[in-house]
Amino acid sequence: MNDCPISIIVMQSSVRGAGQQTLMNHDAEHVPTLARRAGRETALMDLITDSLVIGLTEHAPLILAAMGFALLYRLTGLLNVAYSETITLGAYLGMWVNTTYGLNFYAIVLPAGILAGLISVATYFAIFRPAKNRNVGVLEMIIISFGLSILLRHGLQFIFGYPVRFYNVPPPNTIFVLGVGVSSFRLLALGSVLVLALLLFWFIQRTTFGLQIRALATDEDLAQVSGIRPLAVTVLIWFLAGVAGGLAGAFYGVGSSVAPLLGWRQFLLILLVVLVGGAKNIGGVIIAGIVTGVALTAMTLQFGQVLWAQLVLIAAFVIILKVRGRRMADTGKV
Amino acid sequence: MAGDHKDTAFAREPTRDSDGSRPRVRIQDAVKSFAGRVVVDVDDLTLGTHPIEGLIGPNGAGKTTLLRMIMHSISLDRGTVTLSSDGDGSEVVLSDLPAHRMARHGVVKTNQVITDFEKLTILDSLLLSVAKATDEWPYRIYREQGLYEDTVEGILWYLDRFEFEDPLGFAKSAGEKKLLDIIRCLLLKPRVLLLDEPTAGLPDDIRDQLMGLIDEKAAEENMAVVIVEHDLHVIWTMSDYVHFMAEGRVLLQGEPRSIREHDTVIEKYLGSGHV
Amino acid sequence: MNLDWLDAFLVSGLFYVMMVIGLALLLHLQLGLARIANFGVVGFWGIGMYAFGVLFVKVDWPFGEVWAFLISVVFGTVVAGLAGLLVGWLIADLDIDGVLVGTLGFATAVWILATTEQDLTGGALGMGGLGFPYDIGSVKANETLWLVILTILVAIILYYVSRVHKSPYGRLLISIGDNEPLARSLGKAPFQTKLWLFAVSSAGMGLLGAMYGVNERFLETGNLGIDITLAAMVGLVLGSTTRMWGAAVGVALTVGLFDVVIQFYLPLPREWYTQAIPVLREMVFGGVLIIVLLFRPYGVLGDMRRDKLMRRMHGG
Repeated sequence: MNDCPISIIVMQSSVRGAGQQTLMNHDAEHVPTLARRAGRETALMDLITDSLVIGLTEHAPLILAAMGFALLYRLTGLLNVAYSETITLGAYLGMWVNTTYGLNFYAIVLPAGILAGLISVATYFAIFRPAKNRNVGVLEMIIISFGLSILLRHGLQFIFGYPVRFYNVPPPNTIFVLGVGVSSFRLLALGSVLVLALLLFWFIQRTTFGLQIRALATDEDLAQVSGIRPLAVTVLIWFLAGVAGGLAGAFYGVGSSVAPLLGWRQFLLILLVVLVGGAKNIGGVIIAGIVTGVALTAMTLQFGQVLWAQLVLIAAFVIILKVRGRRMADTGKV
Repeated sequence: MAGDHKDTAFAREPTRDSDGSRPRVRIQDAVKSFAGRVVVDVDDLTLGTHPIEGLIGPNGAGKTTLLRMIMHSISLDRGTVTLSSDGDGSEVVLSDLPAHRMARHGVVKTNQVITDFEKLTILDSLLLSVAKATDEWPYRIYREQGLYEDTVEGILWYLDRFEFEDPLGFAKSAGEKKLLDIIRCLLLKPRVLLLDEPTAGLPDDIRDQLMGLIDEKAAEENMAVVIVEHDLHVIWTMSDYVHFMAEGRVLLQGEPRSIREHDTVIEKYLGSGHV
Repeated sequence: MNLDWLDAFLVSGLFYVMMVIGLALLLHLQLGLARIANFGVVGFWGIGMYAFGVLFVKVDWPFGEVWAFLISVVFGTVVAGLAGLLVGWLIADLDIDGVLVGTLGFATAVWILATTEQDLTGGALGMGGLGFPYDIGSVKANETLWLVILTILVAIILYYVSRVHKSPYGRLLISIGDNEPLARSLGKAPFQTKLWLFAVSSAGMGLLGAMYGVNERFLETGNLGIDITLAAMVGLVLGSTTRMWGAAVGVALTVGLFDVVIQFYLPLPREWYTQAIPVLREMVFGGVLIIVLLFRPYGVLGDMRRDKLMRRMHGG
């Protein structure tokens, strides 16, 4: 399995350029697709299929991460900035297991997610639970999570060093979907999104544990009175969110490279997707994630510049929040 | 406004006359529901035809919600709230304005539950209340002394009558906070004063003094006062007119005595043990 | 003037500390008084720096260098103030999550524009051509004078903040941060208040950014990361978010410790300074945020004391 990572690196870094510093991964195999089709008359149709296929597969980790973040945000009320480091941790843990034990990517992806989930639970016990017991305010809670994010990010840098690291994997198989080449890793990422989404739906809607989660989300005191164990439920939420973030990180990592800023670069997009899509349910987050992925890809293909696509998206989402926030302005406390 | 009465049999001459310049709040076709449950559904209600009006009803009747709708601190599902005054003939649609504009039109509400600024002292609170927007621009960094000198008389007028343990410090007890809440509102020189359970948590002597003051102001300064209160003694002794609400609707209106003896009120609210 | 006793690196270390104190003071107005969590301090700082730099370097000025410089500084400040108005308008009526997104999004937008508009900003490569509006001899002398000017500016900001605490405006900010619905029912307009607060404090941040650009003589997108925001926030939180001197004390204890004391007065091995110390610095900053907010939410100085202030002003 040690035979050819170099070629991937070269290929990727040559195409990525500015993308290296951005919030998203820009992958090698898509670019020839456009070039190949450049002269055709069906350019619009191609743009649409390209955007759909690439957008969905490339941004599957974003949807995955957003689901985890939304779960945590909706059910514990915490905007956890350090969630970005859960993602980064997933990427590093996967890379570490992969390069240390020479394990296949498919074998390490789930353990990486589980490890990230456990670390997520650990941060809950070490920091967020004590903070809640001390009645720390919502605003202070965000700043605490920001502090934790910084601490973990540079802690990782301390351990793994600043240079960008790579997974040691053979080049993934390229599978053609609607004529667009997609790596098998990305299809796996998309598959994980589906599995996790179904799992969460089933979990929250059907099982008694899901009932408890919903009760907890509505009213913790009530939940406690009715014999539900908030601690167990909360731990489970942190774990699931951590697993989702860790998996997303592993997919991000194998798709490009691993660096301390990996998760932080995705954080703003995740936050936007969750806030715009997720006030009500996980379904909204998934839809917002898909729209984001497809729109980003379409605009990137059009502008030839990832950053502009992001700029448009940030502006659009903040305006959506602004418009919606106004309509919901119902203070009612006085 | 006799046409608005649900039950005109009890509409008698009020104990005190309205001289017409008193501002009135008219609520038309106003509906508010929370999570599908209709909390307030008022066809047409005019408040302020009498100096002091009581608004009573069982828990969950929608009294506090109605007051909040007037203040526009919660949005209306539909309907309008209008402030009009025959004195200058002005008419303002309150339900089209943001909440912070109410005070400028003289519509002010005190709070049922204790509501205070934790970081501000009593004097701070009172100065905040009397400060105008022009005193509060970011560049007016030398304005404090002038504001204090311009307004201290009005503030001391209240501090002399109502004693706080330490007016330069923070409000200590629940009673002080409640009193502070009401004085803050009075300092705004309201034209329409909505009192949401003003006596809860106040010591008896302060309550009597405060209610006496409000009674005075209603008569002398043409202020319209609406009191929501569970202590019915306050309602029966103070109000010139009473509105009875239940299940979000105004069911009865009339003089205190007639409301007090009405079968519906006894059945739905006072209970048969009531004398 | 003989400046041999002064280390040139110390001057730039002190410059950084002084600048972060200025930023933390302005953040104090937003976070400490009005309780708006601005996670995009670097955006306002950066847009001031770039607006100044681009105008100064790219325009062919027909008149003297000094005038061009002053006009550019004013331009940078005004642009940052306008950005504050825009962001303030976007977030003033949003919840805390909307504020986080809006301010963070703005900072990211500034970074994106600085990176992509290469013709104007030099992109990731950076842009030179900036300099002091005077020349009094050696580089060190020029930088020292610039530090003095910055110190005067920060002293003015400190004075403004102290006056805000003692004015009806400060009371208004505190009331809105404390209980916005109650303030609104007393006729206060939170939206307008936050808008102007953001305009004024962002303009100040932009001016500090422009001054930093001059001191560096070079604009880099690398400065537009989270470091500046973090430094200002850590300093303020450690000192005390709600007290004026919190910014100065806290920044001195954090940025001052790392960028002046450890940098110049500790005999540590050379290679530590390039590798371990910068990483350690950020880790400590992150840890300080967590520990202070968990165990001493109002920092070393504690919460503000309006009762003492009222007694001093109106107790006589």
